[in-house]
Amino acid sequence: MVGEIWDLIILSPMINVLIVVSGFLFNNFGLAIIVLTLIVRGITMPLNLKQIRSTKALQELQPKMAELHKKFGKDRQKLAQEQMRLYRESGVNPAGCLLPMLVQLPIWIALFQSIIRVLAVIPEDFLKLSGHLYTSWSQVFSLVPLNSQFLWLDLAMPDGIYLLPILVGGTMWLQQKMVTPRTGDPRQQAQSQMMLWVMPLMFAFLTMQFPSGLALYWVISNVISIGMQYFITGGWGGLTSEAATKPAGRDKKYITRITRVEEKASDYRETEADIGADVGADIAATEVSPKGGAGPARFQPSLRAIKRHPKKSKRPKRR
Amino acid sequence: MKKKIIGKGLLLAVLLMVLVTGLALPTCQPAQAIPRGWSGVAIADGALFLGSMEGKLVALDSATQQRLWDDVPFTQKQSSSLGCQQGTLAVAIYGTPAVTAELVYITGYNGKLYAINRQTGASRWVYPREEVLDPIVGGVVVAEGKLYFGSSDGVLYALDAATGDKLWTFASGGKIWGTPAVNGATVYIGSFDKKLYALNVADGGLKWQFETEGAIVSTPLVYDGTVYFGSFDRYLYALNETDGQLRWKYQGDNWFWARPLVDDGIIYAASVDGKVYALTADKGDTVAVFDLESPVSASPVSVAGNVIMVVEAGRVYSLDAGTRQKKMLAELGEPVYASLAASDGVIYIHSADDVLHAVNAQTGAELWSFELESE
Repeated sequence: MVGEIWDLIILSPMINVLIVVSGFLFNNFGLAIIVLTLIVRGITMPLNLKQIRSTKALQELQPKMAELHKKFGKDRQKLAQEQMRLYRESGVNPAGCLLPMLVQLPIWIALFQSIIRVLAVIPEDFLKLSGHLYTSWSQVFSLVPLNSQFLWLDLAMPDGIYLLPILVGGTMWLQQKMVTPRTGDPRQQAQSQMMLWVMPLMFAFLTMQFPSGLALYWVISNVISIGMQYFITGGWGGLTSEAATKPAGRDKKYITRITRVEEKASDYRETEADIGADVGADIAATEVSPKGGAGPARFQPSLRAIKRHPKKSKRPKRR
Repeated sequence: MKKKIIGKGLLLAVLLMVLVTGLALPTCQPAQAIPRGWSGVAIADGALFLGSMEGKLVALDSATQQRLWDDVPFTQKQSSSLGCQQGTLAVAIYGTPAVTAELVYITGYNGKLYAINRQTGASRWVYPREEVLDPIVGGVVVAEGKLYFGSSDGVLYALDAATGDKLWTFASGGKIWGTPAVNGATVYIGSFDKKLYALNVADGGLKWQFETEGAIVSTPLVYDGTVYFGSFDRYLYALNETDGQLRWKYQGDNWFWARPLVDDGIIYAASVDGKVYALTADKGDTVAVFDLESPVSASPVSVAGNVIMVVEAGRVYSLDAGTRQKKMLAELGEPVYASLAASDGVIYIHSADDVLHAVNAQTGAELWSFELESE
């Protein structure tokens, strides 16, 4: 039952579209995969935009996170509460970065199944292809099996010269690096470093195992992500040594929320003064560390943004 | 709460990694479907020969179901990479073996053709000796001291049946997955390049070729001066044997994969659309269309005036175009892709669970079944 629904909704449409697109593109299956990637990324564009903006907002919260760590580092429960409050108030979801990848997982599986069927990799799978072809699309019958050669690749097989694993790993690293937040928190730093290296290495390894048609999808998809990241955030993000990002890159949706949060910094200071902690030293520590990272540098443009949007920077009522 | 969210995120990431790597790692080989094979049965003097899904040539006495000799295993080297140790894999066997007085010939998906001593099971020769061809899916045909088979490299090979020496080759423009057909001085073969070729058996010279709109896997049938074969363009073609001119064509709803069969002047062409088209051999007029409700890729047999078909769902049918009746003979409960064979009123069916079934062609009673997997 689940298999039938999968075939009906995802696999069969993908197979037929890939075949027809190949037909239009000089029977070139590699180009068809690239077009498919563009279509999929076009459809998931809103999700990706949300993710990029959310990630950027997350980065801009880093100074605040560092502050909270300094203040509530010993009281983990309180720290968690305050961090959660910060996320909630700024509208940021720290797990949101993985969602676009998870959404694409069915696409990867369907593309893998499509490749082994339309390229006649083994007879069992090729025979199953007949059940997926739309009988009303007569051209699909004359186009299969598709040609598996694309550039130096046999799209049905892993890349024999290991260039594709490097491309997949490299583009994924670049993309990951662009979104890696600069933080003074060593724990988060370690986590970011792990994500920065683990995912590219894992996908580079997978590229050596899976048909290169699937890896071609990953490469193109990563390049699109890098492009989107560049244009939406207005820079190379974590790739540049200069931590500052253009204020214009900020998404309007988050401006108000983050501004509010930033305004609350003073609230924290007040609270801190009330409880007798050395808030001034904390603020100084976060705002001055020139090599300590993006924290203070991101903080400053945010403050400038408040000045440019006086109406949106209304101080929220204190609870 | 934050911990929970980050925890969920990490959990999702781990699940993603496990899921994706899980597809690739356990087998220590590229994440691709593994070919298993669907060899049909060759019958000679009461002996049955077929390739098992463990990559072995099995020889059985049909009367006693005893092995004539120990199974002959065929293996291939597994490529090593990324710390995976090099090992051996069983060879998938798709083609039905061919039998002569002395030898049994069998093709492997590893790109080898094996000649085995029919009496002892000892290896006589292998082609090619050192290197390998591209995967061989079709079977081998022997005629007049020559044998013919095609490979995924698009080449039809003609060898000396006794020595395995290469006599000639013919290169088509696409993969060859079908089994050739020989009639007199001509060998016919279809290719993924959408063409059917008629070649001279003496030297492989091209007599004529006919281009369709789809790939050709179906083994041609030569009957009464006409060559019948199906294509992936959903047409069954009837060509003039001498010059390849089109006599008629008939459109089905999906690919024609199985070899057509003729019985009493009627062509039975099974399609993967689940239908069997019964057409007059001379003009292609429809006599009957049998809907078997499951794809048919296994080539049929004719037993005592009844056409026997097996569908992928494992049901065995007896068809009679004269009365337009179909009768379900047996239900094996397992998928079947392998070509059928029949002798002395018994049908032999190799199902996808690697079991050989012997079914009475009249009553459909299962006479015996034999598990080919070694214990």
